[in-house]
Amino acid sequence: MLRQWMAGLTFALSVMLSAAFSVAPMVAPAQEANAPGSEAEAPATAPATDKPRPGTLEDILRRQQGLKLDPERLLRRPAPPAPIPLPPQLGTLGRQSDADLWRALKSGAYARPSSDTASGKLMQTAGEEWRRLRREVILKYAPWLPAGVLGLLVLFYLIRGRIRIRGGRSGRTIPRFSMSHRIAHWFLASVFILMAISGLMILIGRPVLLPLLGHEVHSVLLSAALQGHNLFGPVFILALLIAIVRFMRGNFFQWADVKWILRGGGMLGVHAPAHHYNFGEKTWYWIVVFVGLGMAATGLLLEFPWLVETLLYHQLATILHALGAVVMIAVALGHIYIGSIGMEGALDSMLKGEVDENWAREHHDLWYEQVTGKKAVHGGGGDDTPPPAAAAEQT
Amino acid sequence: MSETADTVIRTMLDQTDGDIAAYLEACVHCGECAEACHFYLATQDPKYTPTYKLMPLVKAYKRHKAPLRSVKGMLGLLPAEVSEEELREWESLVYDSCTMCGRCTLVCPMGLDIAGTIRKMREGYSAAGIVPDGLRTARENVVKTGSPMGVTAKALKAQIARQEKETGLEIPLDKQGAEYLALFSSMEVMGYPEVIGAYARIFARAGIDWTISTEAYEATNIGVQIGDGPLARKLVARIVDAARKLGVRHVISPECGHAYGAIRWAGPNMLGETFPFEVIHIIELLDRLRAEGRLEIGEKDARRITLHDPCQIVRRGGLLKEPRRLLDDACADFVEMKGSGVTNLCCGGGGGVSANPRAEELKTQAFSCKKAQLDAIDGLKAVVVPCANCRGVFEDGLDALGGDYEVIGLSELVADTLKD
Amino acid sequence: MGLVEFIEGPAFWFALAVFVAGALWRFVGIIRIGHKPDLAPPKGSAGWGWIRGNLRHFFPRGLFAERTWMHVLGGYAFHLGLFAVMFFAAPHVDFIRERLIGVGWPALPRWGFIIAAEIAFAGLIVLWVRRFSDPVMRLISDWDDHVGSWLTFLVMLTGCLALERAHVSLRALHMGLVELWLIYFPFSRLMHAFTFMLSRGATGASYGRKGMTL
Ligand code: SF4
Ligand code: SF4
Repeated sequence: MLRQWMAGLTFALSVMLSAAFSVAPMVAPAQEANAPGSEAEAPATAPATDKPRPGTLEDILRRQQGLKLDPERLLRRPAPPAPIPLPPQLGTLGRQSDADLWRALKSGAYARPSSDTASGKLMQTAGEEWRRLRREVILKYAPWLPAGVLGLLVLFYLIRGRIRIRGGRSGRTIPRFSMSHRIAHWFLASVFILMAISGLMILIGRPVLLPLLGHEVHSVLLSAALQGHNLFGPVFILALLIAIVRFMRGNFFQWADVKWILRGGGMLGVHAPAHHYNFGEKTWYWIVVFVGLGMAATGLLLEFPWLVETLLYHQLATILHALGAVVMIAVALGHIYIGSIGMEGALDSMLKGEVDENWAREHHDLWYEQVTGKKAVHGGGGDDTPPPAAAAEQT
Repeated sequence: MSETADTVIRTMLDQTDGDIAAYLEACVHCGECAEACHFYLATQDPKYTPTYKLMPLVKAYKRHKAPLRSVKGMLGLLPAEVSEEELREWESLVYDSCTMCGRCTLVCPMGLDIAGTIRKMREGYSAAGIVPDGLRTARENVVKTGSPMGVTAKALKAQIARQEKETGLEIPLDKQGAEYLALFSSMEVMGYPEVIGAYARIFARAGIDWTISTEAYEATNIGVQIGDGPLARKLVARIVDAARKLGVRHVISPECGHAYGAIRWAGPNMLGETFPFEVIHIIELLDRLRAEGRLEIGEKDARRITLHDPCQIVRRGGLLKEPRRLLDDACADFVEMKGSGVTNLCCGGGGGVSANPRAEELKTQAFSCKKAQLDAIDGLKAVVVPCANCRGVFEDGLDALGGDYEVIGLSELVADTLKD
Repeated sequence: MGLVEFIEGPAFWFALAVFVAGALWRFVGIIRIGHKPDLAPPKGSAGWGWIRGNLRHFFPRGLFAERTWMHVLGGYAFHLGLFAVMFFAAPHVDFIRERLIGVGWPALPRWGFIIAAEIAFAGLIVLWVRRFSDPVMRLISDWDDHVGSWLTFLVMLTGCLALERAHVSLRALHMGLVELWLIYFPFSRLMHAFTFMLSRGATGASYGRKGMTL
């Protein structure tokens, strides 16, 4: 039953994740949106002027080369925004303070540039906003997610201990994962661990490792972590794609999953049905797919910054990459726990490719019935019910 | 160390020459070979991984013969001495689960000749008397009667007389100065005597001057299968002596894989001389006659027929195209099995396995792989099996697993399709 | 002499000496066991067979590769990647030219190195995963297999971590592991990098004599 509880936790985490993901994209643009006059907003706030304009540097160069200008492009270019008047300049009598001037600039006051090749904005604050978001929000709070999950797992283990196979092992096994499944899984798992460790070092090395190790060691370690992270990134994407393809079958949500949720993953004392994968496992799979692909995309952008020119995207990528990472690490911790020390018989499936019949009946009854052709009889929840092995054998 | 273990290890290591040493050194434990071995394929039991069958020899070699062993010894890195229990535990792997088919060699990235190495291990086991009962009985028969099935010269003569009557041809016995001396395997003499008749018909047509010796008619060499060097030498010597006495120029090895290897390739090395005659496999001879136009084929066999390549003939004997050329002439509807030719799958009973009752069940299991290949051919009617031993295994296997295919020898097929 | 100088100086020469002497000793030792001349009249050439056997076993046979393609791919990826990285990484070429033999050859560009290294890592991980998750592999593997894999992995990993060439200590770490690897090499299964010739050759020669063109 507690196994289902664990799977429920997985689910909860997945919800948190999707929440994080729907919020995250809003956070960063919000910074940008607050600063009036960012390029995207300019046309809305400032009416376009139809006065002829001198061209950009590029236009000038094209003209010099005797090439024809592209009138389309010239028209499309946003007109310079109407200048926001600056507060009166600092006079000899000191009517205005410097602080006021800077504040105005920061909040987006425009200068009157001599040409409109520059966008007219004197101070670009997105970088600072990003830095503050990263330092004061992400770095401060995000690492607590995996740490918290780890704590919960320890607590859970101490309270509940290992989930045993009810009725013990039957000694008979059913094949569950083929060799290629196992290779795909462990390939991804080993690269994931490397990526997670090096990534965490990059993310929280400064607050956590630096005080412990001192500048010299820390800088060496981080240089190594960065190289390793960059190097294994593409391998991770390869492993991810292989695993996505390999495990897609059987991971689409089914009717039984609704029942599984309605029965609280088995927490309510009733048996929760599951096919080859239960709802928790399927959720984990789709987290791997979507967050994993998100990590891949943002990671590629960070590793090959020339792919996109817009600064905003890069800032967004670092934020999303960090958020996705902590979420994935947190959920993976749960996955590792339940797949190894947390539950008897679970590791067999990935190590040997085979699982015990009793394990299969208990945790994946529908799948068990499908492969063995036997009926799965459930003990009804109490640990003292006789092992269902005998009943199953008679059928 | 017990004396038995000592004998096994010493003999095995004596047999380990530079080639075997290279094999033992080079294995990278990649496990590819498992996928080639019919015993593993049929059972999926990892212990049938070919390289695993060599473990005791590997350990002994590392401890007693490998270069740099002294340095490793100083660091305490040598494997422990191989114990007698361990050797006995491996006995069934060495004797029951290797037909010495050599298929694993093909897939091995290092090209290890597992079959040849198993043979060396059997030398050790046999020297210490650790031999499966079935093979021991066969050996006793050989020592007594000269044939593993106890076929005496009298029995042979009776079978020959019957074949003479059936074919109406004279079969020359002990003919001095004949050009060819034909050998048979006990299995053929007792189980498929029509082979003798087939020889008579083909040779009569091709005008070949041949004979059968009453002193040396048995071609199979149990000594080689068990790994009993002295016995193997004795059996080869018997043939060589008879051939010398009769003054033949060619000795024909029968449709039997191991026999061919034993006389053709191992024989001269056992006796330490190059023979004064040519050893030729019956398939080679038939192919030669075919090329010379001395085998005129009349009506072809119209059934859908496939060919089983006996490992010792095609893979370890090098006769790949010969049987196919003969079959193309003799059959109208010849089809290949999947993976035929050098990568063919063993029948499961070679290398003394079929003479070893303990291995019966495993052998049948292994044959199921072969049978699956037969079943995959649509409308198959018959399978040509140019090896008396394989033929027996096929018949047993088809009996046990069900399967309605006729099993025929190549010489009989050729004899049957000769122009009248 | 500091630790770094020691690792990059005397320790390296010592390791190299052990490697060369050990590997030679073992290789020659195997050949010197020798074998008796074969008296059976040959049907073909043993010499050609030796060469053919060596070449033939570089390529898998389709029939079997069907079943183990993942492993076969992993094997190729690792070995080819490692070969490229070992002999064509720019720092390695420099090292060989400046400290070993005095001549160099064109090195891989940085992106080439990265691709080769990625391929090698992917392959090695696949091989290693197979080693512990396949029942056959678990049965036949011993500690030598695992030590060899890990040592090679660490050598490759530290090499990549030192790629920036900004920290002497990272380079020294890589060097130190390389030295361990070199010393371990002649005593271990890593020797297959040389012994493969002998075993393939032995089989090839015997097949060649029998007139087989496999
Ligand atoms: S020689 Fe044949 S039977 Fe023996 S281990 Fe190799 S594949 Fe198996
Ligand atoms: S295929 Fe060859 S190298 Fe690989 S484990 Fe088998 S014998 Fe050893």
